[in-house]
Amino acid sequence: MDEIPETRDSLLIRVADARDQAAWEQFARIYRPVVYNVARMRGLQDADAQDVAQQVLLSVSKALPNWERRDESTRFRHWLCRMARNATINMLTRQPKDRAAGGPLLPVDIPEDHANSDLDSRLVREYRRQLFRQAAEHVRTRADATTWQAFAMTMIDGLTITEAAERLQRSEAVIYAARSRIMRRLRDTVKIMEEDADERSS
Amino acid sequence: MNAHPETCDPSLLERYLADLLLSAEEADFHRHLESCEACRQQIQLVAAAPSSWSDAEEFLRDQPFEAIAFGTSSPDLQKQHDNVRDGRASASAEVAQVLAMLNPTDDPQMLGRIGGYEVSGVIGSGGMGIVLKAFDGPLDRTVAIKVLAPRLASSGAARRRFAREAKAAATVLHPNVIVIHGVSNDGALPFLVMPYLRGESLQRRLDRLGPLATEEIVRIAQQVAAGLAAAHGQGLVHRDIKPANILLEDGVERVTLTDFGLARAVDDASMTRSGVIAGTPQYMSPEQARGDNVDARSDLFSLGSVMYAMCTGRPPFRAETSYGILRRITDTEPRPIREVNPNIPEWLDRIIQRLLAKSLDIRIPTADHVAILLQKCLAHLQQPTIVELPEECRLPHHRRGYMSTSPVVRVVSAIAMSCLVIAGIYSITQLASGISRPATVSKTTSNSPETSIVPNLSPIDDWDAIQTDIDAFENDLIPSETDARKLWQTTLETKPP
Repeated sequence: MDEIPETRDSLLIRVADARDQAAWEQFARIYRPVVYNVARMRGLQDADAQDVAQQVLLSVSKALPNWERRDESTRFRHWLCRMARNATINMLTRQPKDRAAGGPLLPVDIPEDHANSDLDSRLVREYRRQLFRQAAEHVRTRADATTWQAFAMTMIDGLTITEAAERLQRSEAVIYAARSRIMRRLRDTVKIMEEDADERSS
Repeated sequence: MNAHPETCDPSLLERYLADLLLSAEEADFHRHLESCEACRQQIQLVAAAPSSWSDAEEFLRDQPFEAIAFGTSSPDLQKQHDNVRDGRASASAEVAQVLAMLNPTDDPQMLGRIGGYEVSGVIGSGGMGIVLKAFDGPLDRTVAIKVLAPRLASSGAARRRFAREAKAAATVLHPNVIVIHGVSNDGALPFLVMPYLRGESLQRRLDRLGPLATEEIVRIAQQVAAGLAAAHGQGLVHRDIKPANILLEDGVERVTLTDFGLARAVDDASMTRSGVIAGTPQYMSPEQARGDNVDARSDLFSLGSVMYAMCTGRPPFRAETSYGILRRITDTEPRPIREVNPNIPEWLDRIIQRLLAKSLDIRIPTADHVAILLQKCLAHLQQPTIVELPEECRLPHHRRGYMSTSPVVRVVSAIAMSCLVIAGIYSITQLASGISRPATVSKTTSNSPETSIVPNLSPIDDWDAIQTDIDAFENDLIPSETDARKLWQTTLETKPP
């Protein structure tokens, strides 16, 4: 894991310093699409979902400076995610009538309690999805092109090992090996991204 | 690993994964892997646990869901380059609820049964319901089953809408329109059955690759137009043509138009005026945006927007809010395609402009026409030396527009042109005098306007610039939208923003 120290650095979220733009953007980059996707799943259209994502991030950023003083025992990442989840649920359940007309779906009111647990589990899952996607992007930009292709073709594009080998003009063994190497880096990167924030609080 | 005990070395796997091998060692390792199936499996297990592999596959993979589902269309987060597109809902309560309502099955591999179908998985979920992957035993094929969300299934209106969607889509038989295998509207869970298509939506393709190549654009647009022509022939307007509803199948060059979720029979006026604007704003036509009645030509405008997106990688009308998007659609012209992507040929740009004409009089009138035209263009692209571009693509746009506009507009534009010429002459003279005789400038400006308008009749060098101005002006005249704009502004006064 020491091979990707830049990840570790870039992921440091300085709790005491909410003005640390780079760290903040890192979190925002992960969480913005989380909120956006969940909002879209609720039937909001593009522009409104973007608004909600922006508002959620704004409210979390305002709460950031309070973190160290207020709640030392909780793990930072969990706290951050919980803040963001609460803000999202508030935002999405409080103003169902606030959407602009023009969405692809008929607006439908969903019973609140049912909606909240549903939302919460979607948020958790979407967060994990974003971790993976961001990690994959990180790995991709640092990997040799063919190695990445071996992984992407078989894991993302749905080609078989044989097809990928043909396209890349490599042996199947090379495809197996290369995609495993990428998978290992991906796993490690996700782990670092998950743990990094936690370390701040421990 | 027992097959080749002499070379199977677990530490080698670990060192390979960490990229610690020398290149000679790596080559040896590759050679070993070729003959050793056990090590090929082992390296994957060593690299990451099976759960990580399946997580990666699930989270990173393109899903056909987005295209078959109900408008959980993909996000448009261009500022960030994350390819965050998967609207797939997973362990959500709603999916669980639907799965709990399935009938029991004897097959332990399956999640349950619905109708005669064995459900094997969940493809995705959207606003109206969820999409299941299922197996049709008697016909031995995999299908996608769209199930109306339980919370909607209790509403009569939603059921009717769902039934109508199915009925409408089922009447269209065309290779470029998704087939409806069957419908059930009487059980606790209304559902419709479609083929399970492996592939990605055009939206996802655009997100992944950005602007497409000319031939690809024409090919996809041609097939969409052909599918639309078939639907329009049945009196159906799709009303929601957008990249997320256009499915590109894997392996074959076939485009399938999906989600007639909002398609309605043209004569079905009862629900059309429910006050809810149906359709994704970014690809709406101006008449849709205004809430006017729409006909088949509305789909053609949307097709134009989709083609624009294929050329440039983004929709033609964008704004921060959906209200802003609607305003742009009705009031403004999109940024010229060739300014964004100079690789797009002028004739294609002109076809798209004719689809994006706000006035129905100028817009290409039928999907048939578009399909045939694009077919000819495609033939030209594939054999440029043998097949010429179709006649109507060859004329410069502004001249075509000029010839076909009414005499009144012609007179107006003629007057405007002469004004421009005079203005051009005037400004050039001013410029020239400003450059050559700086000392007289203050004197000139202090003069009364009458004297300065008198042309100095100095030679004009910059005719090209003037001609460009005239062309630009003339082009502005063609999609003459004053009426539409007035209409829109009056409706605005009655609607809150």
